[in-house]
Amino acid sequence: MNPMLRRLLAHRGALLGIAYIVLLAAAAIFAHLILPSDPLAQDLANTLDPPSAAHWFGTDELGRDLMTRAIYGARTSLITALGAVIIAGLIGVPIGLVAGFFGGWRDAVLMRLVDVLLALPGILFAMALIAVLGRSQFASLLAVGITGIPSFARITRAQVLSLRQRDFVTAVEALGGSSTYTMFTTVLPNAWSPILVQVVILSAVAILLEAALSFLGVGIPPPTPSWGDMLRTGKGFLYEAPYYAVLPGIVLTLTILSLDTLGRTLSRLIEDRQSAEDGP
Amino acid sequence: MLIELTRRGGIAGALALASVPFQARAADLKGGTLRVALLADMQNYDPQQFTTLNFPLIKNLYDSLIEYTAAGQAIPSLATAWTIAPDNKSVTVTLRDGVTFHSGAPFTSAAVDATLKKGADPQKGKNVFATMSVVKGWSTPDAKTVVIAFNSPVPDRQITDLLQFVSVIDPAGIDTVETKAAGTGAFTVAERVLGQRIRLVANPKYWRRGEPVVSEVVFTIFSDNNAANAALESGAVDVIYGGGGRAAVRLRDAGYTLIQGPGPLVQVLRINSTRGPFKNAKFRQAFNHLMDRRAILRVGYAGLGVVTALPWAPSSPAADTSYDTAYAFDLDKGRALLKESGLSEAEMNGWKLLVNAGDEDGVAISQIVQSTLAKVGIKIDLELRQGGEFVDAMLQGKFDAMFGGVGNVQKFPTRVATNSIYRTVKNPVLGDPHPHPGYVAAIEQVNTTFGAGDGVKAAYAALNKAMIEASFAIPTNTFDLGLIVANKKIAGFTPEIDNMLVARTIGFSG
Repeated sequence: MNPMLRRLLAHRGALLGIAYIVLLAAAAIFAHLILPSDPLAQDLANTLDPPSAAHWFGTDELGRDLMTRAIYGARTSLITALGAVIIAGLIGVPIGLVAGFFGGWRDAVLMRLVDVLLALPGILFAMALIAVLGRSQFASLLAVGITGIPSFARITRAQVLSLRQRDFVTAVEALGGSSTYTMFTTVLPNAWSPILVQVVILSAVAILLEAALSFLGVGIPPPTPSWGDMLRTGKGFLYEAPYYAVLPGIVLTLTILSLDTLGRTLSRLIEDRQSAEDGP
Repeated sequence: MLIELTRRGGIAGALALASVPFQARAADLKGGTLRVALLADMQNYDPQQFTTLNFPLIKNLYDSLIEYTAAGQAIPSLATAWTIAPDNKSVTVTLRDGVTFHSGAPFTSAAVDATLKKGADPQKGKNVFATMSVVKGWSTPDAKTVVIAFNSPVPDRQITDLLQFVSVIDPAGIDTVETKAAGTGAFTVAERVLGQRIRLVANPKYWRRGEPVVSEVVFTIFSDNNAANAALESGAVDVIYGGGGRAAVRLRDAGYTLIQGPGPLVQVLRINSTRGPFKNAKFRQAFNHLMDRRAILRVGYAGLGVVTALPWAPSSPAADTSYDTAYAFDLDKGRALLKESGLSEAEMNGWKLLVNAGDEDGVAISQIVQSTLAKVGIKIDLELRQGGEFVDAMLQGKFDAMFGGVGNVQKFPTRVATNSIYRTVKNPVLGDPHPHPGYVAAIEQVNTTFGAGDGVKAAYAALNKAMIEASFAIPTNTFDLGLIVANKKIAGFTPEIDNMLVARTIGFSG
């Protein structure tokens, strides 16, 4: 087993986080196989039913099973997180790589662009983009992804700036390696660790941002289940059905907590490894 | 107190002021400061801007020429009598003596003249302008008389609707009425903190004896219903006006007083019959059977209202409950009409239901419709839009179908045509010429049929039939915008025909 992975799994918090995320992802992927009810099936004779054997977490205002919707809501959140990370990574990493590797005017132009993106409050930018594109999962995913570009670009650049001065990079260049070859086969593979941490952190941010957009009423349109939308609707039933907002709230909190713990642990392990490599 | 009302120069009737019981009641009530929770700030002080945002204030700062009882009977207010000409082409209104505006100026026919001028102005008339379309002109023979002439004979009820709609404004304040109230009402504005509170104090020169009961009314604006509920339950406010149905039912069950006024709105699925499959009459008619009205009423409005297949309040003279049975929710009948439409599955699908994203109840009932339609093979998406974007789409007809409340359903039946989807000319959704001539003809028939005999009933029946045949609007249920929830100490509520808040008769019991 990879020593890094072994050290990660040895950390109790990270282990619990990974277990939770794996469980959540499995439930989201196989929800249609393991859950008896349809998240969209309405039962208007049994609205706002309290938790029972038939509905473990009760039903919503349209008689839909809250647990089913919370689990299907994980699909929405995880797909948004995955899509957002891919978009942010595919755009942010090359920007950081080129800016850090070449420096000079390329660095100045690219990083100013990143600064512009960074200056825009994420949620405001996402809302503006959704206003233009309309409410859909793709719009949410794209909006969240674009807001994640600066963090990937800056982290990659910082890592590349450090690696650029290392002897093994100089050696590759001295042996005639082209810029493209050096960037993608020498520098980038050695810059992955902090980017991986950023993947985990951005996933948490993406899930939270998607939930926030849905909570504000500009996220994925109903009837698609979404944790943020469940929280938003459940807020209106705090008196009649206080349990309504509890489950999506717990699931959302645990997801963010798990990803955050995982990200922090990874970050600490990478720092430890770098300290060990740099020597006393 | 008896008031003599004359009609057609010979028929005389006497009516007791409906407010008499409240005056008697008022004597048993104690004054003080009435604290009212609102869920939105008022728009302005213009009584001709008849938006629900202004509903808490209009009847407290202004008086109209006449009022309606909860049963729809016209009773005097600033007008002590009105005489409709035998040919129904004019009405002579006698004004009350001894009334003054908040400014101290006397109330005379000059004020009615100025108010009617404003109402007839396309720019300044706001919501009154459409109602003034039947008016040819008016004259003021003396300080206490106004004669209003009509373009053509107008049914009695339409005339009284006009008089009830006219809240008289002080001529000196008519140009600044949006920012400064200028009425004869029971209260005057003492303080306004934008977005936070409005404080009214009693008008010491108010003309109704013994009113207002309370010396002060403080409106506090809350950001959401739950906060207002908490304020009522903690004793921070005495009344919530305009709250949601679910919260009102919960509070009623907890022992609070719930008042539903006589002027509900009717929720209507508005259909743009100029678009896609909605051009097909049978397809539209199927929707009469595809609306699960009971579920919509229960989920969206906590059951506070009644289901209806026609756009009338129960008190409307055109109301006909037989339609509720004939066009009840029935998937099989709906499927049969869809089949009769001759449209393919592909043609029936692919349209969107426009939804106001800020209206949680609207989102819920739209999902009910979406789910019901899926059962008969129609797959649709919800198109959620916010605030102004939604209103623009609604008023400009940029939608396939959408839910929207319609008002004036408790008044003269053709007043329904003041709602955009029911307009017979310049309809912003259906355009000109109106694509449903049968409906337009039925409206005209009601407008030109006078009296109270079989002819009028036949005209109402023809209108109801035309509405179902055209099916460009599918009513589902009545609902209240002006729900009042109050603690048990508060009494003396006056049922107002438009569900506006009338604070002058309210006081503290015990």
